[in-house]
Amino acid sequence: MNQNTTIALLATATAAMLFYSCTKTVTLNLKTAASQIVIQGEVTNLAGPYTVTINQSTAFYADNTFPPISGAVVKISDDQGVTDSLTETSTGVYTTHTLQGSSGHTYTLSVFAQNTNYTASSTMPAQVPFDSVTFDHSADFGRKQIEAIVNFQDPPGVKNYYQFIEYINGVQLTKSGNIFVLDDRLSDGRYISRTLRNDSSRLAIGDLLEVKKYDIDENVYNYWYQLDQSSGSGGFNTSASPANPTSNISNGAYGYFSAHTVQSKKLTVY
Amino acid sequence: MRKTSLFCLTLLLISFFLLMDRSDLSAQARHTVSGTIRDQKSGETLIGASVTLLELPHSSALSNSYGFYSINAPAGNYKLVVSFTGYDNDTLTISLNKDIVAPIALSTGGQALQEVVVSATRNNNNVSKPLMGVQKLSISEIKDLPVLFGEKDILKTIQLLPGVQSGGDGNSGFYVRGGGTDQNLILLDEATVYNPSHLLGFFSTFNSDAIKDVTLYKGAMPAEYGGRLSSVLDVKMNDGNNKDYHASGGIGLIASRLNLEGPIEKDNGSFIVSARRTYADLFLKLSKDTTTKNSKLYFYDINAKANYKLGEKDHIYLSGYFGKDVLGQGNTFGIDYGNTTATFRWNHIFNSRLFSNTSLIYSKYNYSITINSGNNDIGINSYIRDYHFKEDLQYYINSNNKVNFGIDVIDHTTSPGVISASQSSSFNPISIQNKHALESAAYISHDLALTDNLNINYGLRANSFAIMGPGTFYTYDKNGNAIDSATYSSGKVVKNYFNLEPRFSASYKLNTSSSVKLSYTRTTQNLHLLSNSTSANPTDVWIPSSNNVKPEVSDQVSAGYYRNFKDNAYEFSSEIYYRDLQNQIDYKNGAQLIANTNVESQLIFGKGRAYGLELFFKKKVGKLTGWVSYTLSKTERKFEGVNNFTWYPANQDRTHNLSVVGIYKLNKKWTLSADFVYYTGNAVTWPSGKYEVNGQIAFLYTERNGYRMPSYNRLDIGATLQGKKTKKFDSNWNFSIYNLYGRENPYSITFEQDPGDPTKTRAVQVALFRWVPSITYNFKF
Repeated sequence: MNQNTTIALLATATAAMLFYSCTKTVTLNLKTAASQIVIQGEVTNLAGPYTVTINQSTAFYADNTFPPISGAVVKISDDQGVTDSLTETSTGVYTTHTLQGSSGHTYTLSVFAQNTNYTASSTMPAQVPFDSVTFDHSADFGRKQIEAIVNFQDPPGVKNYYQFIEYINGVQLTKSGNIFVLDDRLSDGRYISRTLRNDSSRLAIGDLLEVKKYDIDENVYNYWYQLDQSSGSGGFNTSASPANPTSNISNGAYGYFSAHTVQSKKLTVY
Repeated sequence: MRKTSLFCLTLLLISFFLLMDRSDLSAQARHTVSGTIRDQKSGETLIGASVTLLELPHSSALSNSYGFYSINAPAGNYKLVVSFTGYDNDTLTISLNKDIVAPIALSTGGQALQEVVVSATRNNNNVSKPLMGVQKLSISEIKDLPVLFGEKDILKTIQLLPGVQSGGDGNSGFYVRGGGTDQNLILLDEATVYNPSHLLGFFSTFNSDAIKDVTLYKGAMPAEYGGRLSSVLDVKMNDGNNKDYHASGGIGLIASRLNLEGPIEKDNGSFIVSARRTYADLFLKLSKDTTTKNSKLYFYDINAKANYKLGEKDHIYLSGYFGKDVLGQGNTFGIDYGNTTATFRWNHIFNSRLFSNTSLIYSKYNYSITINSGNNDIGINSYIRDYHFKEDLQYYINSNNKVNFGIDVIDHTTSPGVISASQSSSFNPISIQNKHALESAAYISHDLALTDNLNINYGLRANSFAIMGPGTFYTYDKNGNAIDSATYSSGKVVKNYFNLEPRFSASYKLNTSSSVKLSYTRTTQNLHLLSNSTSANPTDVWIPSSNNVKPEVSDQVSAGYYRNFKDNAYEFSSEIYYRDLQNQIDYKNGAQLIANTNVESQLIFGKGRAYGLELFFKKKVGKLTGWVSYTLSKTERKFEGVNNFTWYPANQDRTHNLSVVGIYKLNKKWTLSADFVYYTGNAVTWPSGKYEVNGQIAFLYTERNGYRMPSYNRLDIGATLQGKKTKKFDSNWNFSIYNLYGRENPYSITFEQDPGDPTKTRAVQVALFRWVPSITYNFKF
């Protein structure tokens, strides 16, 4: 709602005037910052193993291959004294052994790489049942499109944060504009039906769609929300000052560590 | 602090009274000639007309906002000369042996009513008057310039002046001397216009048909103005022809206008109504698609005014503006927003030297959003509303001495958001508590000619902003969590901010055609527009100062050199300024500004500074007229938590800004015009790298505003063809091409994974307008 709908509305309204405007690729003289460490890790309520990926940032005009960081010491511990030392199963990818995540527990990640200690912690929220996925058929000034709608009941009196990931025909939707995180600031206790609006991929009838719903904690919600605001996805109503999202990992690492529940719905687009 | 300010105020009052009496020391009797200056054909009052007694060259006065002038001089016989740009001079022989009322009617081109003694002299007010950073626009200049979609637009024209920057294509917000878009006080017949733009900023709310006078004060504003830091755009409406009925209007590609005016009682009262509507949405109806067919995209506005002379000493005015924008997509989304203003004014002439104006003003800006998508049906409403009382007095002591004083009280109410939702909606209804504040000011200013060459204007504005209950007020910690709250009942003062705003300017004439000037101005601002996007958004929220948000303060010093050439046919001015800004507002990372009860927890505060050089050269007479304006400037900010607490360029920092405007009267039928605009790019935050999270490419930012947008340039041309002209009918055709060489000036640059090559990322530039031709037919009868 709010910012997203305002963006959508203003975007469609100005789309009417777009017959006068034009888009083109430009090459800019962008600086290259020193390579930064990017740590991504998760613990879910599904059966393990869980993975932590450590790689690096690159220059804007370089290829989208991010050099992995090998040989880091990665541990995840829970709040009951169990510590799992992760093994590097492939370059830059570290996997757990016995750790099993569950709601209500806090997990702490510790990474020792490039002579620095990075830590993060995340508490897995309670699982909020994912009812169903339905579809919204609409037309944006002549362009017909189908979008998925997620339906579930928000528990009243508790601050809830949700994240949704879409997979079309087995492939995860990862273009910019496909970050879907919600909070219940304006919807507490309501039955939520939210359209997952994306401006790049289009669902077609007959596609196999999988939607995963995560219940995430507040820090992880803020991370994704800020990442979306600064994603540079769309000219209209772009945030005036994009910035790096606030990561819950210490010492200036990029990335996030999230303990979340996972539910999945698979269906054919109709 | 209070005691010292009261002491200063008293000192000020005593000193001006002493200076005031200086002239009465002479034994010779003095009398006053006063009156109202009007256009002979229409009866419209003329603002800023120059009145001089030929025999006393230093005795001159300018007519005020209601056309009133007053000159006090020793008894004797004089020739009173009145001049105003675009009109023939008028001379009146008077015997000043008692107070005289002499109304003046100026005519344009042709026979003057009275004997003309002095040939038309153009005024050199830009050189002699102490006010700096003032720019007056004539409506005829605005009408001759080519603009986007053929719509004559005051807001677009002022962006061609030095020190004024445009917000960019598709944005009618403007920046004056580095100040933000909410730091400009935009007045229409004294009523504040909160959102002076239509259709997301493509057009402004000012219909040039209804406008008489436009004056822009860039920072160094006289004490009678206050409330915003950076500028005052004072727009005055026409009163309406008080002799005959007339209709005029225009039909254009995007919008049409109609203007009706006439007398209520010949010579004593008149009315004017102007209306305008776009039909940009008509092409939507042609679509086969039902959603597009039911979509809406239009705006309309109406300006109305009536005035009536109650007697020799009294005149009343009632003016109003009503405008609305409607955007909607089928039945799913709808947004409408608009301003409503109403002003009632009463001029009273106490005596030949004391003029008073009392105003009662109402102003409201509101927006309303409706969403009907699946079970997400909600309505969001928000408004800001003012009730305003003003009393302005002008005391014309003598021709060297004028005092303006008065009071100004505004009752502000903001309703930041009321969300209504049905039972099955995904959203809860909320009503964010209204904010109520009382802003009062008292001011006094003195225009004084100390010597023949030295003119000064000094004044003081005392401003008190009281935040009132009812309501609950929170204080927040660094993380935005509410740590304390206090509840106040209706009528109780939560907090009061008291500020003194001294104003000073001086001009020293080096000779009749050149001068140097100096000024210092302090302004404060208690209403703040929260806007975290690159383009002006009609749903941006105004909040008043509070226990968390302090008043913004600006201190500006400026100096300038002014020179006119060839008997005031050419004007040259150069000004440098330096501004220091305090309590500026910015936003936390990931700030939630919409429908947020605790929106003040999302703000961070810091400082700003701006300095620059403005050069302006204008040719006022001849077949070719026009101007060149160039600004070299720097605007910076410093906020804790941003760029390691160092000075960094503000978004609107543009180093070079050049405008060249030319209007050429080819012959009786054709008038050609062109304008060229060039400016270097805004400061922007772009990535300096990238990384990947959960399969998504994310961009890595280092410092804020470390990059620049590419520069912008554009040439517009226009031509006006005089059509059929008889005594009763006049028409013309106006052709224009906006962006003649179709340059793709960047509106925005965004970053994404290349859809054609997923192994790479690319930068995408959106340009809004290439060639935009337009044709308008204008008529008057």
